[in-house]
Amino acid sequence: MTMKFNRRSMLRGVLGGAAVGVGLPALDAFLNGNGTAWADGAKFADRFGTYFWGLGLTDTPAGGTRWVPKTIGSGYEITPELESIADLKNKVSVFSGFRVIGDGKPNVVHWSGHAAILSGVAPAKSNVMDGPSFDTRVADVLGATTRFKAVDLSASGDVSANYSTRTGHSFATPETTPLALYTRLFGEGFQDPNDPNWRPNPEIMLRQSILSVVSEQRRSLNASLGHADQVKLDQYFTSLREIENQLAIQLERPEACEACVIPDAPEDTGVGLTVDVVEQNCITMARLLAMGLACNQTNVFNMVHTPGFSTTYVRGETKTYHQTTHDEPTDAKLGYQPKSSELAGIVMRSFGAFLKQLDAIPEGDGTLLDHTLVMGFSDTGYAKIHSIENIPVFLAGGANGRHKAGQHIAGKGDAITRLSLTAQQLAGVSIGEFGQGAMKTSRPISEVMA
Amino acid sequence: MRRTLRQVSCAAALALGGAGVAHAEWSRTYVVEWYEAAMYYGADEGVIDPGTDCPAGTNGEPDWTKVMLEAGYSAQETRWLLDPTHPFRPEGHSTSGQNQMAFRGKDRANVYSQPWLAPDPVLTGVSGSIGEGFDLDGDPDNGFTSPDGSMSGIDNQFYRTLGCWLTYRGPHRQSQHALSKNDEMREGAWTVAIVVSGEGDDPLNDDNVRIGFYNSEDALVKDGNGDIARDYTFVIAPDQRFEAIFDARTVNGVIETTRPADEVWLREASYVRELQLLEAQVRLEMKPDGTLSGHVGGYRPWFDIYKGWIDARGAVIEKLTWIELPGVYYALERNADFSPDGAGGEKTHISFAMRLDAAPAFVMTPGAAELATEVVSYKSIAPPPGKRHRAIPGPLGDRVVDGIVLTKDGVLLGGPEAEIPPPEAESQIASLRE
Repeated sequence: MTMKFNRRSMLRGVLGGAAVGVGLPALDAFLNGNGTAWADGAKFADRFGTYFWGLGLTDTPAGGTRWVPKTIGSGYEITPELESIADLKNKVSVFSGFRVIGDGKPNVVHWSGHAAILSGVAPAKSNVMDGPSFDTRVADVLGATTRFKAVDLSASGDVSANYSTRTGHSFATPETTPLALYTRLFGEGFQDPNDPNWRPNPEIMLRQSILSVVSEQRRSLNASLGHADQVKLDQYFTSLREIENQLAIQLERPEACEACVIPDAPEDTGVGLTVDVVEQNCITMARLLAMGLACNQTNVFNMVHTPGFSTTYVRGETKTYHQTTHDEPTDAKLGYQPKSSELAGIVMRSFGAFLKQLDAIPEGDGTLLDHTLVMGFSDTGYAKIHSIENIPVFLAGGANGRHKAGQHIAGKGDAITRLSLTAQQLAGVSIGEFGQGAMKTSRPISEVMA
Repeated sequence: MRRTLRQVSCAAALALGGAGVAHAEWSRTYVVEWYEAAMYYGADEGVIDPGTDCPAGTNGEPDWTKVMLEAGYSAQETRWLLDPTHPFRPEGHSTSGQNQMAFRGKDRANVYSQPWLAPDPVLTGVSGSIGEGFDLDGDPDNGFTSPDGSMSGIDNQFYRTLGCWLTYRGPHRQSQHALSKNDEMREGAWTVAIVVSGEGDDPLNDDNVRIGFYNSEDALVKDGNGDIARDYTFVIAPDQRFEAIFDARTVNGVIETTRPADEVWLREASYVRELQLLEAQVRLEMKPDGTLSGHVGGYRPWFDIYKGWIDARGAVIEKLTWIELPGVYYALERNADFSPDGAGGEKTHISFAMRLDAAPAFVMTPGAAELATEVVSYKSIAPPPGKRHRAIPGPLGDRVVDGIVLTKDGVLLGGPEAEIPPPEAESQIASLRE
């Protein structure tokens, strides 16, 4: 008899009188001809993440730059502040020359840039967006089958440094330390997808039944309410339904994950604002997050390296990065702000390290990064004046073959929402246009779309 | 409302059939796309290099450790105050300012609100002889000589006082302050439309010209290169304050005031964005490429300059622009050169000039009824003060008091009686890390 194996098969036998099951790795036999999907048709999960850092990269008023490549299209050269992505150049697209168009709204410093990128419209005031951030739309599509719809991270330890919002007014609470992230992903409630002895957790079953009771009461309560209250109640129960969905997922046997190896808990390093601490926390969080993605705990993440108003500083120095961008004069001979550029390089080092952690995990014949799309962006172009032109944006990862990476695209003043739309489409969201007013666009960057 | 392109405006002009041009034979219209204090840069390169204006280059960063020690803080207190992590920094701007920096006057008085209680750090000003602006007092032997040598007696004590300050110094369009504040205007914070009209046959040489500066609610529009797009349309929004009209003439395309305006209010690319000028003059060239470029000048209140900077968050400004603000106060007071009350009065004003660049634009009368082809006042139909059309907020509004940023709850962190480090410092730092 010929046995048929697939990616879900287990080798079963008896050891010492007890039945045992051994999961199988992602053998080539289980893959399609291109190694981009399982042979039974199911693709590797689509993952999507945003990666934000404050204070842009180095520009000069005379038009010089430390980050924009001269070459357009594929094969762009590595400029000084792109050094950290040199090894991944073919997996990263660089976007320059895109801007926020305010439609008459003033530039809300350290806010307009990323608020417009995420919500599609320039904000009227600080700390409020005029709509949901688009990552939530992506999470609705990609996060339905994972334990967490999205995971939010703040490498600088700032609990307010997160820009993921469904309302425009309240923002997701990020994990601010590696240990907190570990606990979230692999602590209580974590179910090892490769555990051959998996059983539904009775505690989860109990919680689900409680929600079912609430659901019954909702129907009777709803019948007695006016329309306005029904709307409010519906919004409230929408959030409860999401919890129900997440619990339901945990009652299903998780798919085995070849790359999932439960990491050791990190040390409680705490938080700090020195660049070395932020960088180390960013890398540790990236390592944990990568495994969280590989273990199917989430498909969507939002990492804030440093907020728009970055308060990081070099240990032993009294000036912060933000202050340096403003008070450091442009060096006449170099043509740029040397200290600011040095700090921008350190910030980019974290981004490069972050991507490498995702690229270090093999999946099929590629890596986790190949099945992920990471949109990296900042709040400003020329930080000295809070410019919202030429805001640096990167799209990294293969997006399961949808991203034609490794290109430099020059926007020539186009609305930066074109990149937001592109990211959503590459992530697998069915969306035809994005943004409002002058930022409304139905034109993604087709050059980077396979 | 913005009518976006030339076709719209041309159609409107045709529809009017010349109805609004009874007195003016010609008119030209513009929108301000850049203005900055006229700070002549005397170096050949860079933005801070030594030059004829400032032989030692741009003034350096104060030694804040020395400043605080001389103010009576101990070495330990000073070290702690300059630590980037301490929690007495203004909320929302914790990276550069420190509230406690304010309290370094006599008996730890707030030196922003009471600069006279701090010693004068003696701000280094411009020592060169070249400057830009106007001979406001009519004395050709008193003042700067223009860069091309054609004018002498230029009164610009603002430049002489503050021209070596990091925030103002630099080549045209490259100083920190000009870049930052013009960018705010160009991103839509405010708009100034200009109408020039004349009664003669030759716009380039006309003895009866008027030039008007008007508020508009239509935001500037950038082109793909980030420059202000030409030929967009802007509707005049009448404003009881921000309207400035000058009697002038043109000589070879240069608009010159024939009689200084007693008092005008203009927008300024600064934190305050409001500029009162007495004895105001203009000299603006209508260039062949359709743009307008030159200077506006007069005497401005010197204390408002100082107050503008402390209201912009004193400690933040000191750190970001390398200045001891009491030095600005003393230097402005010392160099003020005009009294509205006459030669014997208190010198409350200081001579000043700003560069102005404007792009060609279509300017419509209020309500977009017709193209503005004549310089007239619209103050009579302006809404009352306080109901100005588009609010232009300051950086932090009411939360800046005496140059200090309060918390959202109105609490002052720090103060003359503050214990340094504060007893709660450890717990505050711990809470920041939670």
